[in-house]
Amino acid sequence: MNELIPLMVIVPLMAALLISAFSRFNTATKVFAFVVAICLPIIPIASNYGLHYFGGYAPMLDNVTSVMYHPAITYSFTFLQQIFIAMIGLLTFLVVFVYLTKYRKVSGPYLFLLFLGTAAVTAMLLTDDIFHMFVFFEILALAQVGIVAASSIDYSYEMALKYMVLGSIGSPIMLLGIGFLLALTGSVNVTDIAAAVHNGLVDATSPVFLMSLGLIFFGWLYASGLPPFHTIKSGIYSKAEPHGAALLQSFTVISMISIVLIMFRIYATLPIFEVLIVFFSILAMILGVSLALTQTDFRRMIGFLAVGELGFIGLGIGLGTNFSITAGLFQALNEIIITALLFIGFGAIVEATNEVDTRKLGGLLAYHPKVSIMLLIAGLAMAGVPPLSGFQSKLMLVQASLSCGFPEISILAIMVSIATFVVFVKTFYTMFLKPKPNDLDLEGKEVPRAMIFTMAILLIIVVLFGVYPDLVTSGISNFVGGIL
Amino acid sequence: MAQTQLAILLTSVALIVIGLYSAIFIDNIIKKIIGISFIEEGANLFIVAIGYKAGGVVPILMPGMDTSWFATNAAYPLPFGLVLTSIVIGASTLAVMLALVMVLYRRYGTLSTKVMLSDTAKQEEYNE
Amino acid sequence: MLEFILCIITVLSAILALIQKDLLKAAILTGFSGGALAVLFQILLAPDVALTQAIVGAAIVPVFIALAVKKTQREGS
Repeated sequence: MNELIPLMVIVPLMAALLISAFSRFNTATKVFAFVVAICLPIIPIASNYGLHYFGGYAPMLDNVTSVMYHPAITYSFTFLQQIFIAMIGLLTFLVVFVYLTKYRKVSGPYLFLLFLGTAAVTAMLLTDDIFHMFVFFEILALAQVGIVAASSIDYSYEMALKYMVLGSIGSPIMLLGIGFLLALTGSVNVTDIAAAVHNGLVDATSPVFLMSLGLIFFGWLYASGLPPFHTIKSGIYSKAEPHGAALLQSFTVISMISIVLIMFRIYATLPIFEVLIVFFSILAMILGVSLALTQTDFRRMIGFLAVGELGFIGLGIGLGTNFSITAGLFQALNEIIITALLFIGFGAIVEATNEVDTRKLGGLLAYHPKVSIMLLIAGLAMAGVPPLSGFQSKLMLVQASLSCGFPEISILAIMVSIATFVVFVKTFYTMFLKPKPNDLDLEGKEVPRAMIFTMAILLIIVVLFGVYPDLVTSGISNFVGGIL
Repeated sequence: MAQTQLAILLTSVALIVIGLYSAIFIDNIIKKIIGISFIEEGANLFIVAIGYKAGGVVPILMPGMDTSWFATNAAYPLPFGLVLTSIVIGASTLAVMLALVMVLYRRYGTLSTKVMLSDTAKQEEYNE
Repeated sequence: MLEFILCIITVLSAILALIQKDLLKAAILTGFSGGALAVLFQILLAPDVALTQAIVGAAIVPVFIALAVKKTQREGS
């Protein structure tokens, strides 16, 4: 059923608009949001692979030059899009579920922002049109700012404004890069641009082409929160509500991989492109882990760890072989799940203790055993301990960098993994195992059941991917073979 | 006619440079936001200049026009369509930023970025 | 000839807007810049973009900024 492909974007978008328009009716809004959220992971699973041309304008063949042109905005739906959209749909469902059970009176605008963000990342993954991607990139930035500003944490407005100012410098720069590509090729369709570059219609060494790479790359750095934007990115995670942060980091990961895949298809012939990606990824890995080590606010710590993990994804894509890109994308999938689990788990601790400073916490294991065990497993998965999913993807990354002839990078990746492990175990010890400080009152405070349920579901996926990585890696590998 | 295009490109570069300068160096947040809107306008102007064709006609097919003559003489309309979207996005981003500024002004009573944004980290350290 | 004058108006009013002490004047000068840009789009054979830019750049954006200035403070350094 190819008709379902545009529905993946339209359903959350329409739901967002309807919810914000009719948010006066509290119960109806709750039921409607719940039903739509259930539909989100089901639609991509029920849909068939294929292409969708908006307006029905099929590609045309120019008889003189025998070049294909794509006049319509094209959505391409393959296994990669299916698994990522299903995962983001599941995560949106869980986050909306946590939100609906937490508050008796729901806020329409907040649900609007959650669904809007989901629709935006879905469209960014599906689209084959670089300007369409830019439009949803802007919508995503607005939704992210809204989610941060809507939280009740101190200084969330300041952080939102800072992110917005940086974002509105970054996005016109990216638009300018798209403009350069448009000037060179006369098209915004990625397939057409890539064909023009590979057929030699565009001089790949011309300064305009390199300039467009630089400008779009800057936009990518902003979207994915790699250095120099790592501080602001981890900042917005720590200023959002925990379930919002879980969704925000998945938006970041997905916008990162969707932009980098488009850049890869266009610029793969330039050797400097891969060098740039590997350089910034390694920088992100080192900075993320070393800054995470110094944090006392544990939300901030996970934010920096999440930035460090982004480096692994970039590393896999920057190495540029089929195996390494598969590993990078698999790592992206794992990171979405594991970081969401960590954010929701630590959010449950905030909920139960009203405290975010690790130095003022302790002895939580006796009070919240379920949460602490699940958090421990998630942290081990992030650090890459077998048989969890993080181990499989990091093992693939290390193998890929070895087979590319960069043993230094694989040693660095292993060291960063160990450092992640150290950071996590240190935090886990201070929060859960150390004797309880006397002034900490823990009696009679419960963790919400919806959060435990959410964590359990995410944990099942982590273990499942850890034991059977072939479920996704073979499909992703086929996709990567198609774009190389 | 190449002069027109050169002048347009110089204008867009000037707008982007002015915008970047003000977004980075000016302290007042409202002026920063005005500067950001200039960056957007510069990028829009550049993209419209891509579609321009010297001595061409507006890319709207009127009844009675010869199609092949129109195809060789009309400007390239795809960039114009993109800029339409981009203008609206720029205006909505500006509106959200100004709304955040209005909320923050109520808390700080000043428009200075140094007080409003950069002190956040210091205040956090102070709280700890 | 007209396009050169418009280019100069655009850049000049942008610079003037940023060196104004009075933020309300800065908002009005932003409108000047946006309006000149709209005419420039018309010269560049894009009447639809010119129409949008004339509404957004010359009316909506200055009004938004002026409203924000009215709700906050008028003098900016």
